[in-house]
Amino acid sequence: RGGGMKGGSKVVVEPHRHEGVFIAKGKEDALCTKNMVPGEAVYNEKRVSVQNEDGTKVEYRVWNPFRSKLAAAVLGGVDNIWIKPGARVLYLGAASGTTVSHVSDIVGPDGVVYAVEFSHRSGRDLVNMAKKRTNVIPIIEDARHPAKYRMLVGMVDVIFSDVAQPDQARILALNASYFLKAGGHFVISIKANCIDSTVPAEAVFAQEVKKLQADQFKPVEQVTLEPFERDHACVVGGYRVPKKQKTAA
Amino acid sequence: MALYVLYESASGYGLFLAHGIDEIGQNTEAVRSSVSDLNRFGKVVKLAAFSPYESALDALNQCNAVSEGQMTDELRNFLELTLPKVKEGKKPKFSLGVAEPKLGSHIYEVTKIPCQSNEFVLELLRGVRLHFDRFIENLKPGDLEKAQLGLGHSYSRAKVKFNVNRVDNMVI
Repeated sequence: RGGGMKGGSKVVVEPHRHEGVFIAKGKEDALCTKNMVPGEAVYNEKRVSVQNEDGTKVEYRVWNPFRSKLAAAVLGGVDNIWIKPGARVLYLGAASGTTVSHVSDIVGPDGVVYAVEFSHRSGRDLVNMAKKRTNVIPIIEDARHPAKYRMLVGMVDVIFSDVAQPDQARILALNASYFLKAGGHFVISIKANCIDSTVPAEAVFAQEVKKLQADQFKPVEQVTLEPFERDHACVVGGYRVPKKQKTAA
Repeated sequence: MALYVLYESASGYGLFLAHGIDEIGQNTEAVRSSVSDLNRFGKVVKLAAFSPYESALDALNQCNAVSEGQMTDELRNFLELTLPKVKEGKKPKFSLGVAEPKLGSHIYEVTKIPCQSNEFVLELLRGVRLHFDRFIENLKPGDLEKAQLGLGHSYSRAKVKFNVNRVDNMVI
């Protein structure tokens, strides 16, 4: 391992299938997002600068799937992450804000990321990161009580949840009932060990999907996060999906 | 019986009047379907009053109070000025829908304004949240986000309480 992107002389950046995500093709391919704050790294991640034909430079930040479950899900081949330029995202379990910074890159200046984290230690890093990214709204509060931060959040298009709590399905449902618009989407990362370590991971995932279905969620796809995380799955789906499909008149 | 709904936004308190509530018959399913469409929702729910916060500091105070389920003096003034008067010994002809029962009971204790907080009210609030910037005329697109951003930072910063030792002080 050592500086696959070094020098950046022979690096070409191509758009990924998911809008707002890019692939840097150098000696090794790497997932990356377009840096909203050029010249600055958030957590010492590598940066790749590419010169356009007209001489302007664009900077990308490498997105490490071993550190971000969302990146792992993208590499795992998830069909749609729903997080795209202009989207409004509620991010539960923001931690220090490493993945949040990439989500902020993806949604860009027209999008908003409401980042909820309860721990003060990582919340401090989150607040500092958000100072430089005006599309991130930091909320240091318990995701179990969305009523406590109802003043700070508007309606969102997507909820991303990475809270690793036994009652995470309930937490997601509660937040969705406040803030997720009908026809919106959810992306939840499930760590089997955090819910029930006595049964096989697959059984835990199936059980969680059932819980989601009971709360007006419609899970559409599930990908494993192997080889980046062990016994993790990422489930994506819709919320309050209209029963009748409207046909284009 | 008229139903008012209190919506606490990042830029001010909003009071909405839900019309024709009997027709909907407190049917959550019916509200759900009408919420997404502003044309239909705008007929059912109308803005009664809006009171912006005076300053960023005021907003933070309100936010902290709302988060703890407390009624501030500003909220009390706003409610008493805009809602119909509650006469002693008479049953009020309206009720106030609030997002959180704790705030509701506090309001009732102090002002005797009857409050309710249920699934139906929460559904209405979902609609208000979705269309809020179109209810308030002076609010340009993006203004509310700016208010949320400023308030989110000040609220969170106060929680984190920067200290030099980087030691966690959890409030549990």
